[in-house]
Amino acid sequence: MNWPINQRMPNCPLKTDQTDLLLDDAAGTLARRGLDAATMAALSEHMETCPECLAFRAGQKMVWAALDLWEPGPVSQDFNRRLWQRIEAAAAAPWYTRLAESLRMTSWKPLIPLAAAMLVIAGGFLLDHPTTKKTSDVTIIEADQVEQTLDDIQLLRQLDVTTTQSTSQTNQTKM
Amino acid sequence: MLQGVNTITGTAPASDLDAQLMLRVKDGDEHSFTVLLEKHRNPVIHFVFRMVQDRAVAEEISQEVFLRVYKSRETYEPTARFTTWLFRIATHLALNWLRDGKKERGHQRLDAPAKSEKDGELPAREVSDRRPSVEQRMVYETKLQEVRTAIALLPEKQRAAVLMHKYEEMEYSQIANVLECSESAVKSLLFRAYETLRSRLAHMAIGEARS
Repeated sequence: MNWPINQRMPNCPLKTDQTDLLLDDAAGTLARRGLDAATMAALSEHMETCPECLAFRAGQKMVWAALDLWEPGPVSQDFNRRLWQRIEAAAAAPWYTRLAESLRMTSWKPLIPLAAAMLVIAGGFLLDHPTTKKTSDVTIIEADQVEQTLDDIQLLRQLDVTTTQSTSQTNQTKM
Repeated sequence: MLQGVNTITGTAPASDLDAQLMLRVKDGDEHSFTVLLEKHRNPVIHFVFRMVQDRAVAEEISQEVFLRVYKSRETYEPTARFTTWLFRIATHLALNWLRDGKKERGHQRLDAPAKSEKDGELPAREVSDRRPSVEQRMVYETKLQEVRTAIALLPEKQRAAVLMHKYEEMEYSQIANVLECSESAVKSLLFRAYETLRSRLAHMAIGEARS
């Protein structure tokens, strides 16, 4: 057999990554590929004798027939009118409405991983630079300072009492 | 996200009449847009309908497709075949809708009873001189539902590739351009998709052979 389309031939198209040939054969579109006469003859000879390719062809033709059952049906009669209305409305709309409209049909799902990644980065940054630790430090420092101040005030009071007592004793002595 | 709808790599063949019409639209000829709309409206709606399996949504998405085409007229450059560009927009919007899970809000769900697309009538070629019997109708509706389900269960890219290959009769290179992948990737997608469909729909062939 002559197989100019693939040097690995002669072999079954199923075993040589040329399944598209079989798809085209089943669809009846093989002629569109512009294969030369020798290749076409070799392929058709192979297709008549290879049980695997015959089974593939039969299965594919069954799928083709099944898909032919699905006819899409009629389109709304006012499709064009509605479209022109939308075109006119889009042309007359302010810039922010046009922006919102263009965003409306846009999928935001691809941005979800990005947002998740940003959250992870932000979380990592916060863990690395914890603001709560600073706050607790400040709280501890403030508490210490208050305690110290209270001690100082108490000491000053004691000192003041002592000073007052000593002054009154001195005055009594003088008198 | 759909960005840069005019940035398909490659060049449109000089014989692409649609691209020439679009260039006229770019020059302000609205009649050319009407010609393009009339020519491509049904294929686009049918493709989107088979992708999302919801008629109202399919028409809404298709309206958005043509609206975007019209809005892009001023920046249009015929860098690829017009149909490639058109179906690329349609595929992006349909895939976005599917990925956003909007199908859950659809009006015509997959588990809804399968009706033929012509108000419950069998396709014309299945109707002979007489009206189909109740049994024929039920058999047809069951088969149609199985086909729709089999298609719906395919991964999104495989589904799009099969629909473009089977119903729009696009070449591998054009499907590759629409899906932004290599031609060999398209062949692989199609092979796997048809393999799955052969397996899922095999019982239909057995049933036909018995009857």
